[in-house]
Amino acid sequence: MLFSTTEFWLFFAGVFALVLVLPHKAQNRMLLGASYVFYGAWDWRFLSLILLSTVVDYLVGLALGREADPHRRRRLVTVSLCTNLGMLAVFKYLGFFAESFAELMAAVGLQAGPVTLQIVLPVGISFYTFQTLSYTIDVYRRKLPPEDSFWDFALFVAFFPQLVAGPIERATNLLPNITRPRAITAEGLGAGAVLCLLGLVKKVVVADGVAPSVDAVYASANPTGAEIAIATWLFAVQIYGDFSGYSDIARGVALMMGFRLMRNFAQPYFAADPQEFWRRWHISLSTWLRDYLYIALGGNRGGRWMTYRNLMATMALGGLWHGAAWNFVAWGVYQGGLLAAHRAIAGRHAETGEGARRSPWAWVRRGLWVALFFQIVCYGWLLFRAQSFDQIAAYTAALAAIAPWQFANAAVPMPPLAALAGIVALLAWDVMAERAGRDAWYLAWPAWCRAALYAALAYLLAAGATTQTSAFIYFQF
Amino acid sequence: MASILATLRMAGLTLAALAVLDLAVAGFLSLGGALPGHARIAAYFDYGRSVPGKLARWQRLPGVAGNLFDVSWRDHIAAQSALDLAAEDAARGPVVRSYGMSFVDRIVEAAAKADPGVRVDRHSGPAAPPNFTYALFHDDRASRRAGDIAVLGVLASSLHGMASLSNRSWVFEQPAPFTYPLYRPAPGGGLTQIDPLVETEDAERALADDPAAAAAWTAQLAAHDANRTLVANGWPLLDRSPFARLVRRSLALDAAGDARSAVLGDWTAGEPDGAAFPYAETLRRIIVAFAETARSDGQVPVVLLVQDGQPSPDLLALTRATLAAHAVPYFATAEHVPPDTRDAFLSDSHFRPDIDAEFGRLFAAHLRRIRALPPNG
Repeated sequence: MLFSTTEFWLFFAGVFALVLVLPHKAQNRMLLGASYVFYGAWDWRFLSLILLSTVVDYLVGLALGREADPHRRRRLVTVSLCTNLGMLAVFKYLGFFAESFAELMAAVGLQAGPVTLQIVLPVGISFYTFQTLSYTIDVYRRKLPPEDSFWDFALFVAFFPQLVAGPIERATNLLPNITRPRAITAEGLGAGAVLCLLGLVKKVVVADGVAPSVDAVYASANPTGAEIAIATWLFAVQIYGDFSGYSDIARGVALMMGFRLMRNFAQPYFAADPQEFWRRWHISLSTWLRDYLYIALGGNRGGRWMTYRNLMATMALGGLWHGAAWNFVAWGVYQGGLLAAHRAIAGRHAETGEGARRSPWAWVRRGLWVALFFQIVCYGWLLFRAQSFDQIAAYTAALAAIAPWQFANAAVPMPPLAALAGIVALLAWDVMAERAGRDAWYLAWPAWCRAALYAALAYLLAAGATTQTSAFIYFQF
Repeated sequence: MASILATLRMAGLTLAALAVLDLAVAGFLSLGGALPGHARIAAYFDYGRSVPGKLARWQRLPGVAGNLFDVSWRDHIAAQSALDLAAEDAARGPVVRSYGMSFVDRIVEAAAKADPGVRVDRHSGPAAPPNFTYALFHDDRASRRAGDIAVLGVLASSLHGMASLSNRSWVFEQPAPFTYPLYRPAPGGGLTQIDPLVETEDAERALADDPAAAAAWTAQLAAHDANRTLVANGWPLLDRSPFARLVRRSLALDAAGDARSAVLGDWTAGEPDGAAFPYAETLRRIIVAFAETARSDGQVPVVLLVQDGQPSPDLLALTRATLAAHAVPYFATAEHVPPDTRDAFLSDSHFRPDIDAEFGRLFAAHLRRIRALPPNG
């Protein structure tokens, strides 16, 4: 049940109607049932994995709340880690590592036998396992009391707007949203509807509109450097529109029902360096990796070289989180390398610069850095999008030999007019958000201007509505 | 309460803004072709008109861009073909007479360029399904000579058109109204045929003044045409608003995709013989009937299978056994360019010109190999 289908919006209309009439506790039970229906629509068999994760982490949380002995507490949290990471290992990585092992053995002349584990990847497993792990780790660290209500905890794990592709919510944020009475306000309805509309434009008009152009080049045997550059720029737009569009719809749908989910993107392509990029891109994952992996590895407490090692390890594992393939690991290592190099050169800074006031010259200088860093990000997207190391090598060589005249002859299918208009609109939207320093920048406008803006978004959505529904890219993770 | 009123006011303002924007777009579209890019934008908005709306507009304004009203009516093609035959020099030897669509036209033209011994006489319709090409082959029977080569084109992406009586039912954005019969396997062998109530352009135009005939034709389409959808043909009021036309376009294309899937029977690429596709047997019988007719007239039948950019439905898997059992010569593009070779295709989904040229060279060589053409020299 994709957010971009009529089926989902009919489902949501039914859920929303029930939210309006039910009291708080009954709302939560109904939302849990709706979340299981939503997930079961993909493959009901994998509901058992969500239930297993829910039961284990609920019991571990309760036990951690009662237990004072540090050794027993560590054992308890290990049970949660083994359960959740074990599920990930089996369903996401077992086949990949088995095949990689067989290839390695073959490379050194040993026969390991054919390995074909036909394991189906449960949709969203990487998201909900990380979400529920954050709960047990926070309870273990005594940052959070254990949740007493099993049903409320089950809803925290399975809440349908963000179940399959995030944002990866922290229990400290989402659980209070669930356990405390919520108010459905007119402001929430309006702001949620705008987020949904914006998200649909990003996904349906922009991401789905440029996808065929990207696919055409990345399926070619020998594209020129210019064709690869154009396709990779378009892929940067596609993955941003696709993933941030999903996050916007998730936040919008939740907001209409009275839940406030965390912001997952903050104009990431306006970053001027790797640190800033990771404060703006997939914020819920980058902060998760920082809080539960990087810091657990020692963070920056062990000196310069340990910091670099920890950055590399965190980002390599972050890359692997995206998918069981070596190109994702390469992408993670690339990002880790960028972060380490930037740390070595520029040190650490805490802010994104979003909403900062600058002189005109400072804007120009920053704009140049942003444009340059965007190219560095895009090379990372090439690693991410490629299907093999051979393709990465061939495309990198073609990029190294790029010549200006190639752009005049580049055979990249032109995206539809509406998608191009959508890209311009998305850029303008992000410029406004960047200047205002918040994503609801339009609220400062007079009512008639906002009405015109919403109408224009609706028109753009109608103009660019493609007919072939494509799954969100991050569903595969 | 105040915030609810403010939200309702905002919703009302947004609807008003949408109406104003819609009026502005409608005004822009009515300006005519003086502005840059106007024709392209207007065509985009016109894609969303209902099928009856498009046909009525084409009749009313024959000069508008993209008018397909008079395209590929079989009576026109057969009449022109008879004139061409009369002007032909029979002494120059056999002619390759093709019945297909643009893909087939390009390949036989390329064959003529590659081999001066290949003379071609093309007959085609846009995205024509096999029931059109087969009906055209029959209509044109008097305009072929013994010794000619008859080429029946089959296009993978048009296969679901076998469940239709006209392109208007399944090509929503450009619904050329030309018609063709529906074929189904006859119980004792061969084919049964449902002829469309409207078979000529003149008959189509006359419907505007004959409500009873128009109703009967609509009823026939509704009863027999599995690709026809309500969202593409109903709700004429939506045609008045550019915004509503955009919404209809999206919904109609969705509905057309659903109808296509239903006709193809959720065919998967791995399926060997299209068992779930109810028209698989019809296609096989069309091929057999085509070959028998051509041979009885002293002509060489050749089936040209065009697998255009999609591995499914797999035309070779569907027809190979029949072609072999009846020794029907064929040329399949998929044997030379796998359909998932994305860079073999242009953005309009046709093969690249160099690939068409290669197909032409191979097709001409194939005709020589099966001795359909006299030896060179």
